[in-house]
Amino acid sequence: MPKLFDLALTVNGTRFEQAVEPRTLLSDFLRHDLGLTGTHVACEHGVCGACTVLLDGEPVRSCLVFAVQAHGHSVTTVEGLGSIEQLHPVQEAFRQAHGVQCGFCTPGILTTVVAFLDDNPDPSEEEIREALSGNLCRCTGYQHIVDAVQLAAKNIKTAHQQPAR
Amino acid sequence: MKIEGQYTFDGPREVLWELVRDPQVLATCLPGSPSVRQVGEHEYEGEIGIRVGPISGAFAGQLSVTNEVPPASCTLTVEGKGKVGFVKGVGNIDMTDQGPGKTLMKYTGEVQIGGRVASVGQRLFDSVSRGMIDQALGKLNETLQARSAAR
Amino acid sequence: MTKTLIGKRVLRNEDPRLLTGQAQFVDDVEIPGLLHAAFLRSDHAHARLLGLDVSAARQRPGVVAVFTAEDMGADWEPGPPLVSPPPTAKDVLFHSRRQVPLAKDKIRHAGEAIAVVIAENRYIAEDAVEDIIVDLEPLEAVVDLEQALHPGSPLVHDDLDSNLAAHLFQKKGDYEAARKQADLVLQRRIIIDRGAAAAMENRGIVADWDERSQHLTIWDTTQAPIPIRNGTAARLGLSENQVRVIAPFIGGGFGPKMMMFYPEELVIPWAAKKLKRPIKWIEDRRENFYATTQERGQIHDVEIALSRDGHILGLKDIFLHDTGAYDPYGLTIPLNTQCHAMGGYDIKNFTTEVSVVFTNKTLVTPVRGAGRPQGIYVIERLLDAASKELGIDPVEIRRRNLIPADAFPYEHGIIDQAFSPLILDSGNYWPVMQKALEMIGYEKFIRDEQPRLRQDGRYVGIGITPFIESTGVGPYEGARVTVEASGKIFVATGVGTQGQGHFTTFAQVVAEQLGVAVSDVRIVSGDTAEFHWGTGTFASRGAVVAGNAIHAAAVIVRRKVLELASKQLDTPEDELELEGGRVRVADIPNRSISLAELANLANPLRGAVEPGTEPGLEATAYFGPRYGATAFGAHAMILEIDPETMMIEIKRYVTVEDCGTVLNPLILEGQIHGGVSFGIGNAYYEKLHFDENGQLLNASFADYLIPSATEMPRIEVGHVETRSPLNELGTKGVGEAGTIPVPALFAQAIENALADRELEILESPLSPNRLYELLSRKEAG
Repeated sequence: MPKLFDLALTVNGTRFEQAVEPRTLLSDFLRHDLGLTGTHVACEHGVCGACTVLLDGEPVRSCLVFAVQAHGHSVTTVEGLGSIEQLHPVQEAFRQAHGVQCGFCTPGILTTVVAFLDDNPDPSEEEIREALSGNLCRCTGYQHIVDAVQLAAKNIKTAHQQPAR
Repeated sequence: MKIEGQYTFDGPREVLWELVRDPQVLATCLPGSPSVRQVGEHEYEGEIGIRVGPISGAFAGQLSVTNEVPPASCTLTVEGKGKVGFVKGVGNIDMTDQGPGKTLMKYTGEVQIGGRVASVGQRLFDSVSRGMIDQALGKLNETLQARSAAR
Repeated sequence: MTKTLIGKRVLRNEDPRLLTGQAQFVDDVEIPGLLHAAFLRSDHAHARLLGLDVSAARQRPGVVAVFTAEDMGADWEPGPPLVSPPPTAKDVLFHSRRQVPLAKDKIRHAGEAIAVVIAENRYIAEDAVEDIIVDLEPLEAVVDLEQALHPGSPLVHDDLDSNLAAHLFQKKGDYEAARKQADLVLQRRIIIDRGAAAAMENRGIVADWDERSQHLTIWDTTQAPIPIRNGTAARLGLSENQVRVIAPFIGGGFGPKMMMFYPEELVIPWAAKKLKRPIKWIEDRRENFYATTQERGQIHDVEIALSRDGHILGLKDIFLHDTGAYDPYGLTIPLNTQCHAMGGYDIKNFTTEVSVVFTNKTLVTPVRGAGRPQGIYVIERLLDAASKELGIDPVEIRRRNLIPADAFPYEHGIIDQAFSPLILDSGNYWPVMQKALEMIGYEKFIRDEQPRLRQDGRYVGIGITPFIESTGVGPYEGARVTVEASGKIFVATGVGTQGQGHFTTFAQVVAEQLGVAVSDVRIVSGDTAEFHWGTGTFASRGAVVAGNAIHAAAVIVRRKVLELASKQLDTPEDELELEGGRVRVADIPNRSISLAELANLANPLRGAVEPGTEPGLEATAYFGPRYGATAFGAHAMILEIDPETMMIEIKRYVTVEDCGTVLNPLILEGQIHGGVSFGIGNAYYEKLHFDENGQLLNASFADYLIPSATEMPRIEVGHVETRSPLNELGTKGVGEAGTIPVPALFAQAIENALADRELEILESPLSPNRLYELLSRKEAG
């Protein structure tokens, strides 16, 4: 019987305590232990970015992080950005610009973009593409995603709103 | 894929040949100094741990030596199997005198790899195998120098 | 009736759920007591399976069962044939060999499944897979297509006397006679290699057998839930009604999820029924590279005969097609290649012959394009070669050969993938190409900009590639449209959806007829409990075939609504209009009745109804086209290449698409962008590297390079609309259009950029390394 670790962390503002195996990936913990299935796993080797969540506000690949490494830290997943009734400005911009097709890469892109716009509220197209270069999408060709980020930047500036982290 | 190279040893060819034909000596040259057992006149078995980039694992290996022309050349056939894949290789070793206390070894071989070590590690396999061979030959050279000095 | 919603850029109904992580994908399914499966897969591409020892695996704590081929007993059976060879073609040779649930006696490709472990969680299952001891005797692998056909080659299937899986010869007119009249005959050898679909979501299946209700529910990342239901029921000895297959949100299909009865789809439901426990299997990315189907490998020996003024007199194409270890999908891909090798050109003489070859590699089934890119590559490369030889401008030589607008429907006569004679239904080709030329500024670039750039020592090239795309093939799809008691509309259809916006485009089609808001139309697709007749989403047919079935059903519902409303409002039907969820009298807006009221009136709880009355406001309709509609397009590109590193930068990318009536331009653009991105990957970044032992050497995204945001240019999309006469909506498919011409376009533009090197490119995919090799070889002479 493997030795379990008493993990305690905050996810989307709620504190969770659970005993986990040290080798459990953060992505699996979020999806299967907490039932937060918005974060998707697409490659499990840290290249595609679909599993990106915010760890203390910084984007990380949750498939390359052990759950125990998040002990005492704060995690934000796509579920923490907004809800169907109240979309986050970035989510709303993605809807307006048709930046979603199958939606599988989307949660990882949303968390990446939220963190990016926080650091860089007025990005050029080149900067946006650089920031997105760690997130693979097979459906959209990225164009509408780039449009969505530009729209989000514009809307956030207009609304003088700080994106949630 | 092809593997080839050469190494200049600091010792006489005859002594080097003895070392090459001694499985216990060969074992000390490999990473982790695994145990090697002779299981036939020209066959040996052992376990070795290998790391190729992100893939690491234990391989159960078999080595056989054929086409012996002492002290000049022989053919080594290696087969290793593990959870992370398999490795098969055939290599020819040629040793020539380069003057007193110097021997030139040339090696050429074909290696096939399969499984995870191939599909994820292939890019790195060239440099890893070269590194492993250089390291092993370096250790062999040290052993050669020690044994030659003792004579 | 004027179109108010068809052709509008309506925002997608499904987005809020996808954006907030509330959409259910297969791996999101959680069931109490769920077990997890992991497969032991072969490391060798070709081997005899001498023995298996699973005892250690069975004893690992947390392992519930381990199954091998032997354990399956009489239930072990290869998958069913999915597509038969065309009954309408003459002289077809076809050896049907299908994939097996778990390997028995022999391994035929690296990654083939040998055993399955069922455990409490995936971590334990994967540990237990490593406990299994496999005794394999490696055999020499069959990898090279030509060597595979040499006598004495090892055999992938020992019961055959060669690795020839199939052979099909087709002809139109008389090529040999045409050749004799030619002023120029060119021969070329063209080699195209494999790529993966690499959808972001890997495959997966959850099977839940409920012993008490004797019912099996399956969640599957499939593009074809209905055939999966029917085949699974048959294999397990169940009534179709006892099996429900749900394809929930799917993270990209692109073809391989249309392959049916993968080994995992054969094993997991069987295991779930045997253990009476729900079981989940989710593929990981490395498995996806081995165990999910791939496509594109072909070798073409082609010949084109032309007159001095560039008219194509005839074309001959003899090619080998790599089908991998098995051939469940029939001749679909090579038929597509044959039907696209003439492009959109008026070619009266054509001979084509394909030999399909078994190899010890992953199975080949359609991947976005499905054999069409290879056909277009062939004809476009030949035309570029001819244009150079004859000294005719590459655009002009194409213009001279494009099928003229008054020649439609244009009959080629050879058989296509739907077993019908190939007929191009409608089109207006030259204006599409002209528009692309205008949009990219072709003349100006060649005349002014390119010479200037050359003088500055920059290598910038331009290309333009027209292409056809067969779409919207049968057999049929169906749909049921219902006005609910709330007044909202419910639509059920059989096709699955993988991101192409069906929830919205289908809703637009219905809302158009019934005068409701698009957001008030709820679509359920891909659930066999809701609708169980149909085939699936493939071959760019969803919007065309399912869309038209939905349209037909909506038209009937509209009639029923008007009939009932006419009685209620005591007004003739032709004075009524549907708007805002109500039926109103044309010039008396306050005389109206809501759809909700009508729905309730149509379904009374008491009283008598007239004989023959159908309750409710509901209709089910089916649509099957006589043959598939053919779309046309042209892509143009300006790219710069660094002559030392061979790295490229795409400066401009233009597409003009004629896919008939456009349902939703926003979604259409998304499909084009995505298709082009896929095509750019196919052309310059992606290649599956198999070594001579059938080992895949780049089975991860670190080494298999799909384009990221920094590789992709902005794509300018233009439209031309030539309605198809084959369906009410006048629409053609477009899902694969973005992908089809791209490799040919790259070859042309790169040759143009490096014109002073006089390089001829006859292979795909390219890459910086490969291009460097080709140039070095050329310079070495």
